Amino acid sequence: MKTTVAFIFGCRSVEHEVSIISAVQAMRAVNRVKYDVLPIYVTKTGEMYTSDKMLEIEPFRDMKTLIAESEPVTMIKSGNDVVVHFLKQKMFKKKEDIVINVAFPVVHGTNCEDGTLQGYLEFLGLPYVGCDVLSSAVGMDKAVFKYVMQAAGLPVLDCNCFYAREYSENREAIIESAEKEIGYPMIVKPVNLGSSVGISKAKDRAALIDAIELAVSFSDRVLIEHAVTAIREINCSVVGDTDECSASVCEEPFMNDEILSYEDKYIGGGKSSGNAKGMASLARKIPADISEEKSNEIRELACKVFKALGAAGVVRIDFIIDTESDKVYVNEVNTIPGSLSFYLWEKTDLPYEKLIDKLISLAFRRSRNRENLTFTIDTNILSGVSFGAKGAKGSKL
Amino acid sequence: MFYFATAVLAVSGIMSLIRQYQMLQQNSYFAKRYFGWIGSDIKPIFLIIRLVMLGLLIWAVVLSGDILSNSLTLFAACALYFGWRGVADNSNSIKKLVFTARIKRMFFFSGAVLLALGLCGSLIQGIAGTVCTVALTLLSLFPEFLCLLSLFALKPVEKLVARHYINDAKRILKSVCDLEVVGITGSYGKTGTKYILTRILSERFNVLCTPESFNTPMGVVRTIRERMRADTEIFVCEMGAKNVGDIKEICDIVHPDTGLITSVGPQHLETFKSIDNVFKTKFELFDAVAKKGGEVFANGDNAVIRERADGSVILYGSDSGFKYRAENVTGGRGGASFDLVLGEERVSVTTKLLGKHNVLNIVGAAGLAYTMGVSAKDIAFAISRLTPTEHRLEMKSSVKGSLLIDDAYNANPEGCLEAVNVLGSFEGMQKVIITPGLVELGDKEYEYNKALGTAAAKVCDKIIFVGIKRSEPLVDGVRETEFNEENMFIASSFKEAMEIYSDFADENSVVLLENDLPDNYLK
Repeated sequence: MKTTVAFIFGCRSVEHEVSIISAVQAMRAVNRVKYDVLPIYVTKTGEMYTSDKMLEIEPFRDMKTLIAESEPVTMIKSGNDVVVHFLKQKMFKKKEDIVINVAFPVVHGTNCEDGTLQGYLEFLGLPYVGCDVLSSAVGMDKAVFKYVMQAAGLPVLDCNCFYAREYSENREAIIESAEKEIGYPMIVKPVNLGSSVGISKAKDRAALIDAIELAVSFSDRVLIEHAVTAIREINCSVVGDTDECSASVCEEPFMNDEILSYEDKYIGGGKSSGNAKGMASLARKIPADISEEKSNEIRELACKVFKALGAAGVVRIDFIIDTESDKVYVNEVNTIPGSLSFYLWEKTDLPYEKLIDKLISLAFRRSRNRENLTFTIDTNILSGVSFGAKGAKGSKL
Repeated sequence: MFYFATAVLAVSGIMSLIRQYQMLQQNSYFAKRYFGWIGSDIKPIFLIIRLVMLGLLIWAVVLSGDILSNSLTLFAACALYFGWRGVADNSNSIKKLVFTARIKRMFFFSGAVLLALGLCGSLIQGIAGTVCTVALTLLSLFPEFLCLLSLFALKPVEKLVARHYINDAKRILKSVCDLEVVGITGSYGKTGTKYILTRILSERFNVLCTPESFNTPMGVVRTIRERMRADTEIFVCEMGAKNVGDIKEICDIVHPDTGLITSVGPQHLETFKSIDNVFKTKFELFDAVAKKGGEVFANGDNAVIRERADGSVILYGSDSGFKYRAENVTGGRGGASFDLVLGEERVSVTTKLLGKHNVLNIVGAAGLAYTMGVSAKDIAFAISRLTPTEHRLEMKSSVKGSLLIDDAYNANPEGCLEAVNVLGSFEGMQKVIITPGLVELGDKEYEYNKALGTAAAKVCDKIIFVGIKRSEPLVDGVRETEFNEENMFIASSFKEAMEIYSDFADENSVVLLENDLPDNYLK
């Protein structure tokens, strides 16, 4: 008897492909003695498919063939279990439902990472890995995330935030208050996109107007914050839950790639290896080249962010260091980071297989804790026998 | 007419069996206990009727076959009446016959016997046919014999079926990765401890425990077959025993890695014969665990265990020499607080579970969970989350901000005295008891109530008894002490008692509601 883990990936998101790579990496790292892996690939239009071929990256290069060879499925509640149900049944060979013990979302971006998928799993009553609905949603919305951090007394850059409609009705006032309160250079961001899409920098009013126009085309809410000019970006991953969490070593990314490329990890050796390795070392430095003091400050801050958010599982928190003032700011959080930040944990103390094991046990822990809220010593539900209602006393148990 | 009577006899036999099987089932398929029920259920008039029928039958057989076939209608009518009564008795009972696979097999067997006898009796001429008819008549009039016949005839089949289930359970246990099995046994306290242990362990692990009192081999097997999951990390298995060897039987199925023995006491002495046997049986768990190199925790406050257990078990309790113990137990509005000592570590805990027995159960469960890897911090948190059974020393808020301890469902003498002790542990508060005393204790009722009155007087600041006549022995008990009778009140109902109480209740009051009786007792 093995625990069946359903890896859910893909989805209607701009980071669809990145999610596929993250998921395949994760599924390959699972301890197969303990777990059965069930891939559930969600297409860009939202249908779910499963196939053993999805355990490799190659078949995804020819998506049409892969889909044709895969089984359309859906997840449903059946009795006390949540099962993967096959939608296309052959006449004489019935495909049995597969019971899922835990779901493992490896999705990036809106429509999935933002609490949408988590809500679906919560509704099904299936234990799942990672952040819950609220922390996922807060983590995805850059503005709300800032407010939550501010309320917890954690350092974030101040921002101005407005809706697209407010901007179209009140351009002058919004631009003027941004100039007055934030000051150039500024960064303009749509509030709810996972990647860097729609984000741009503005050094003057003309650029600012362009930047806002771009941002409102991606989201109906936009935030403007001051662009730190002397900047270092430092990322740190946290694993755990609100009771107990720990931070990984820090990394310093040099290029804006969201994920360790698949080749870096799996097509090692051979002729491409030199090139790929070179890319990896160019892309990021692990551990980041900062003082131990700074590193500890950031790791401590990372755990505080994690708790303030009410996060769970593995997240990556991106920080900004203003090198002029040496001040650290929380920039944003990835509630399901690219590659699940395994490369940071391998350099800390957790090999990928152990990381996945830990994430799954955290998922069960959360579901137990929720059950425990109503846990009683006895299953006696015959209440209402108290003062004044002594007639019911005959049914003493 | 003969064929019709034969058919009626067969059908009546089946009808009567419904009642017999119901009783056999409720006596756990033990022939001995079932006999006990037969003995207690006999109504003289029906016994006489049946014996008369038996006499008639013998007389008919002795004389000749003709008389038998003519009188068969009478026997059939009589059997039908008893059959109808059997069906009615079953459907009028609270706990009706459950048609389990086993019961179905027994019905099938008995039906086949009756059918065969009926057919042979009708079709075969001469002596053989007569014998069959007589047998059919006997079995229909005395379904007890058919009941026992089917019970014993199917024993080997049942054994095979049970073996199949046990093997299946063993297979499931083996297939779960890294599963640890914890066995819990004891004469008392094992069910409560099981729930506490499960709650504490679930801070860290996926835990499955045997539900309610599923503590027989087949109950354990059923739990495993129906509830074990691939992700289960710990199986907490309650083990009940009525005979020597019972615990070993369960251990042979689940092979516990660790164990917890909550108590050794005089429960089920009629089957165990001696305390020594009880001890031996409970420690069958120790033998099984020792085989796997695991550790067993045992309640060191229990006199029998303390006297007989050697150094190889880990004792827990209140003694300062124990590695796992509770110190400085105090009561207060938040519940019972104490220092939980876990070997080298010490953590202060608060629980809503009141009473010495609960503290003891918590210490045992916490000690075991600690060795299994739950941190002291997590243990303390889980303990603070434990909730009592309803109406069993359950803390509630009451009038004028005072505290109520609802022990309304407690009706046994020792339990009541312990509840009074719990009340006494609320130091510095105005302590009040509201109780009508105990009922239905036979000869000893007066004595127990008097003792309760005395105990209450020693602890309480104010006493409110309910029921003027009922409270006489309680008042006698109070008068044994120096208790100022101005602080003793007699109410005619709980409603009135609460009115009296609310006159002097304040935020610093605690009131124990002990054994809330229905109004018909209150005179």
